[in-house]
Amino acid sequence: MTTLTGASTPYIVLKNVEVEYPGHVTGLRDVSLEIQKGDFVFFVGKTGAGKSTLIKLLTREVSHTKGLVSLQGRDLGTLREREVPALRREMGIIPQDFALLPRKRVWENVAYAMRAVGHTRSEVRKKVPAILDSVNIGQRADAYPHQLSGGEQQRVAIARALINNPPLLIADEPTGNLDPERSWEIMELLKTLNLKGTTILVASHDMMVIHRMARRIVTLEAGCIVSDTSSEGVKSDA
Amino acid sequence: MLDRLSFVFGEAIIALRRNGFMTFAAISTVAVSLFLLGGLGYSYMRAVDYARSIPGKFDMRVYLKPGIDAATISKTAAQIRTFPGVAAVFWIPKEKAWAKEVKDDPANTAGIENPYPDAFKVTIKRLKDGDPVADMLRSVPTIDPDPGVVYLKDEQHLIDEGLQVMRWLGLFIAGLLFVTAGILIFNAIKLTITHRQREIRIMQLVGATTFTIRFPFLIEGTIQGIIGGWISAFMLYGGQHVFQKFLLDLDSHAQLVAFPTFEALLVLGGAGGLYGLLCSWLAITSPNRSK
Repeated sequence: MTTLTGASTPYIVLKNVEVEYPGHVTGLRDVSLEIQKGDFVFFVGKTGAGKSTLIKLLTREVSHTKGLVSLQGRDLGTLREREVPALRREMGIIPQDFALLPRKRVWENVAYAMRAVGHTRSEVRKKVPAILDSVNIGQRADAYPHQLSGGEQQRVAIARALINNPPLLIADEPTGNLDPERSWEIMELLKTLNLKGTTILVASHDMMVIHRMARRIVTLEAGCIVSDTSSEGVKSDA
Repeated sequence: MLDRLSFVFGEAIIALRRNGFMTFAAISTVAVSLFLLGGLGYSYMRAVDYARSIPGKFDMRVYLKPGIDAATISKTAAQIRTFPGVAAVFWIPKEKAWAKEVKDDPANTAGIENPYPDAFKVTIKRLKDGDPVADMLRSVPTIDPDPGVVYLKDEQHLIDEGLQVMRWLGLFIAGLLFVTAGILIFNAIKLTITHRQREIRIMQLVGATTFTIRFPFLIEGTIQGIIGGWISAFMLYGGQHVFQKFLLDLDSHAQLVAFPTFEALLVLGGAGGLYGLLCSWLAITSPNRSK
């Protein structure tokens, strides 16, 4: 296992974290991890390894039972329920199933999310085209989700995750439903966003794409981190 | 702020449209239950007022046979006072009755000989004492069989029975329907939450506040309650018209009261709205709520 040490204050810190679901089902066991601002990290592992739990811990869909989870120096364990929406506005979340509204057009899907977080109609009109263009889906703005390919639907989900201009983007199996070509397109898009300074965390089991990306890989098994390989390590392995 | 409100109200309207049947069921049940509960309460008060307003509703006029002497009249009065349910007995001499009639209607009484017999005004204790007292009076030999005993028999029956029915059956049925309406509103909101799981999830993912997520459901329940309350007010308005027409048919001198439309809309709409708000709040905070 390769251990990373960051020079600056870590953006995300997990220290001896344990997550236990009701019925004594273990989600994570003694997980310690540091992620720097601007990192691109893959969480890999088999189904049930704890990838999604790790991601849900950061989005506060799940609370840890032991240890410390902090984001930008803020202890997420002490966060009150009413503070969770504000936390989520500081990150973009891309769910595995895209979670698009089937009766709304592409632009309406993004607009709906913007309206839900308090953007005015005029802000929505101004910003939606730019957001769609930033993920190369602007030309399909008037299409309905069922008229889009899987890759295009994923782009819409990414566009929606960008509405708050977040410094952190979290994606759960973003290529899980895509063919290799589309998967690579999505990864390229995430890479572009990362180059602009966005911290990207991706849970995936698409090892081919992950190795091709040559970024840091954190491997989980039965709720524990079994390896943490830096991008340099991945490149040298390749 | 207006933009924000337009979004949450828009969400509520979408939910109301999408759950057409449940919305209809909830609104109509609220309307019927409030109509029965509030409406019967109002009708009960009006009926009580009406009962109080009927002149001499507790009085019976008892006519004696012609030619009865004063001693027999006095004896008969004493006998009537012993009847159960009788509160008081007053002798109305025929001269006195005729003098009043002449005074009230001089044009039609001029030159006519006094046709009145001596009579009693018998006051009963309760409305339901009317029939048994009348039966006992008819059995007294000195009382003229025709016209004999005159009293507001139909009105007494109607008012007494009507009040009782309103009080018990109305309360029971309206209470039952009110609970049913609450369950329907609760279920309608639950259904909305289920239908809108995807929207709720998206709102949660992008960091929408609890207010933004929950408020549309509260609006939805409140709107259902208010509309139900308003419909019940209109039902009541119609009901009062029918009831007053019925009273007029019975008694052309019945005092009619104008329907307080604004107050009914305010009170019943407010009650429905509060109830809808309460039921929708229970729905969104019950265990399988969206987090």
